[in-house]
Amino acid sequence: MAFLQLKSLIKSFGPVRVVQEFNLDVARGEFVSLLGPSGCGKTTVLRMVAGFESPTSGQIIIDGADVTGLRPSQRNVGLVFQSYALFPNLTVAGNIAFGLKVARKPSDEIATRVKDMLKLIGLPDLGERYPFELSGGQQQRVALARALAVRPRVLLLDEPLSALDAKIRVSLRDQIRDIQRELGITTIFVTHDQEEALSISDRVVVMNKGRADQIGTPHEIYNKPKTEFVANFVGTLNAFTAVVTHAAKGTIKVNDTAITVPHLREMQLTNGAQVKLGLRPEALHVGKQPAPATNLPATVEDVHFLGSVIRLRVRLGDEVMSIDTFNRSTEKPPVIGGKTTISLNPTDLILIQ
Amino acid sequence: MTIASHTDTSPRRSPLALPGWSWNWLGVVPFALFALLFLILPTIQIVFGAFRTPEGDITLRNIAGLMEPNILHAAWVSIKLSLISALGGCIIGLGLAIAVIRGGLPSVLRDATMTFSGVASNFAGVPLAFAFIATLGRLGIVTLLLRDLLGINLSALGFNLISFTGLTLAYLYFQIPLMLLIIAPALDGLKREWREAAESLGAEGIEYWRRVALPVLWPSLLGTFALLFANAFGAVATAMALTGSSLSIIPIILFAQIRGDVLQDPHLGYAIAFGMIAITGIANLIYIILRSRAERWLK
Amino acid sequence: MKQGTFWSWVVFIAGAIYFFLPLIATFEFSMRARRGVYSFDAYRSVLADPQFRDTLSYSVVLALLTIVLGLAIVTPTAFWVRLKLPRLRPYIEFITLLPLVIPPIVIVFGYIRLYNTASYLPLTGSLRGTDFLLMCGYATLSLPYMYRAVDTGLRSIDLVTMTEAAQSLGASWTTIILRLVLPNVLVAILSGAFLTFAIVIGEYVLAALLNRPAFGPYMVWMGGNRAYEPAALAVIAFAITWACMGLIQLLTRFQKHTSKKR
Repeated sequence: MAFLQLKSLIKSFGPVRVVQEFNLDVARGEFVSLLGPSGCGKTTVLRMVAGFESPTSGQIIIDGADVTGLRPSQRNVGLVFQSYALFPNLTVAGNIAFGLKVARKPSDEIATRVKDMLKLIGLPDLGERYPFELSGGQQQRVALARALAVRPRVLLLDEPLSALDAKIRVSLRDQIRDIQRELGITTIFVTHDQEEALSISDRVVVMNKGRADQIGTPHEIYNKPKTEFVANFVGTLNAFTAVVTHAAKGTIKVNDTAITVPHLREMQLTNGAQVKLGLRPEALHVGKQPAPATNLPATVEDVHFLGSVIRLRVRLGDEVMSIDTFNRSTEKPPVIGGKTTISLNPTDLILIQ
Repeated sequence: MTIASHTDTSPRRSPLALPGWSWNWLGVVPFALFALLFLILPTIQIVFGAFRTPEGDITLRNIAGLMEPNILHAAWVSIKLSLISALGGCIIGLGLAIAVIRGGLPSVLRDATMTFSGVASNFAGVPLAFAFIATLGRLGIVTLLLRDLLGINLSALGFNLISFTGLTLAYLYFQIPLMLLIIAPALDGLKREWREAAESLGAEGIEYWRRVALPVLWPSLLGTFALLFANAFGAVATAMALTGSSLSIIPIILFAQIRGDVLQDPHLGYAIAFGMIAITGIANLIYIILRSRAERWLK
Repeated sequence: MKQGTFWSWVVFIAGAIYFFLPLIATFEFSMRARRGVYSFDAYRSVLADPQFRDTLSYSVVLALLTIVLGLAIVTPTAFWVRLKLPRLRPYIEFITLLPLVIPPIVIVFGYIRLYNTASYLPLTGSLRGTDFLLMCGYATLSLPYMYRAVDTGLRSIDLVTMTEAAQSLGASWTTIILRLVLPNVLVAILSGAFLTFAIVIGEYVLAALLNRPAFGPYMVWMGGNRAYEPAALAVIAFAITWACMGLIQLLTRFQKHTSKKR
């Protein structure tokens, strides 16, 4: 049975329903991200689990016990905020010890735990500093230690990396994941950054307008998006429409080019129907490829040099598409206005419905 | 880039300027002159006068003259009045501020309270005394209502507006709003996340206030207390208009000394004034020391 | 949460009673001049008193002059310090806060001793000289409020960047001050001005000790000699203070509306 269960959560503020019919089961020790644009309700879900919002209806169950009616202080849930929210009047050690002191633990136990926590977050010598003396990344690590010191049953992270610089964001992200694995703590991580969500989660919940559009592993979310919203929100997508010419074979027509897409056969499409298809930039290739790949003539419209990757904007008839190619130092980069051939593998096409 | 290079060559320095020397300080001369003439020199005059004989010799006799029982008593009453009204102002003002800002009351009440505090904190002085006479004086509305409706005779209970208690009650009328005005921004500075972090760690209500909110507010509270203390200590008008000169507090004695002009020893006035500066000065010194300790965690 | 709100109401209502009772009482008291019925007799008698008009207009004129003097000293200083001498700021700020620490009665005592008829600057020797001294005294008392208001106003506009931007566009100093700085700190300046007005109007100690016929000493004199008129005066004084604060509120609200467009 799942360790943390959210059952048909609904939350309304006045007439506005910010969370609708939200269901999620999180296994013990699992790391689940809630991903979505601002205002999609992800933070509200998190705050309901923490106890700062009470659901209009639905249930929150932790380890088999219904906690829906409990106050935040009774839930034993660790919380990390975007703004760190360290207590400015307490030292780093004082912050970490806070929850233990409130629980009136013996002082030697508190001291050992604080020491362990400082070691865990890699700041063993900063216990006596005040929060204002720390960098943003250090503060957030202390906030993490403060939340973990009381050994919460669930760890909730509310956009913990959004206030940090890009480099620190990546390294702290990995550190959070390491600590989470080490402690085996059930974790919910709220973010609007798809790269963040995909890179550290066991599973991702993509939220849109208060609903969970798709719940799945990062691999599933990226490669088999269930809705157009998910397909667009996660990663870059070239979307285009095509006409089904032979449903039984899975043949479609894009810009007078017929492509046979094997996995469309099972979709029970009708001839003449319009379908929306998507293709990731990395699924397109510059240059000809042998069958079953489809080759198409294209014009380079723009070249963005991104370091390891070069992103091209190419025109195929009416469509403009993005293509990612690896940057190889020995190869000449494409030039704007140049004619080229691009190829795609039909199996990479994503049907968006 | 063009903007940066332009500002570098812009005529910031006067052509007269020598390298390393700037005429910029000339800009504060009017202010400095004003402060010197009407704030600093008068104060120095008092301080020096307190240690000189009328003939100009240095002496400690004036200060020794402060040790008279009536002056010591007045000083004690003044300090007590200032301490109690400042403490009361701080505590009640904080309570009201919390109620209005954090207590879940409609935000209209908050705006109204803050506006009213702006008025009431400046309502010190003579009109305030009249207002309290009209309220709790012998013919005041509360006195009469209590007598006629409830049969409570305030003066028989020992209450007298023209007294220490009465004066404290009146002083609170401007002390509390002053506290509200100063502490409101500090309360706004308490982040919601602090409270939520505390709650999720098991500390709610009183525990949160004791461990987080009050320590964070402490420097502001101390500062306001020192300000309220000085505010009450130097106040003359309310006390004069309320009690005439029947209640002897230090500023009223000084007032009488200055007004009387016929002093046996004019330099006693200097000594009293110096004593007042010394007390508010010490109060502020204590405040500065306490604040620097309480603010270790601030930049 | 529910319980907290309940106690908030209790505290608020208790406070409201403490603060409103004296106001109601003063108003009620001021109407009691005629036996048995409420009347405006006290107000009539106050308004008919030539001394009332004289002292009030004296105080109003003095307040206006104080505001002009205060602004003339504070605004350029605050501007200059922000722009050119930021290192001096703590010291200037400290000086402007001194009037909150040194009791007014001590300051005026210093004036009397320093500027007496036997001194180099015998300001107290003539009436105009004393008026000037009183005005300077009021400017000193209002220094903390005035400086703070103007300085806060200046802080909100990032003076250095704005001035540099204006200069790079070819603006002269006069243009910068008149077209950029003043409009942006006008609300702050006016707030300081109204506060000063409210302080000066009812001030007692300075005027009494310098022996000038201001509104404050008049009120005290009435308090000692009349029964109901003082209450009427208190209501009038309160109305003046209220009007000043109301104007400040109005201005700040106006400013909030204009600055929200940022």
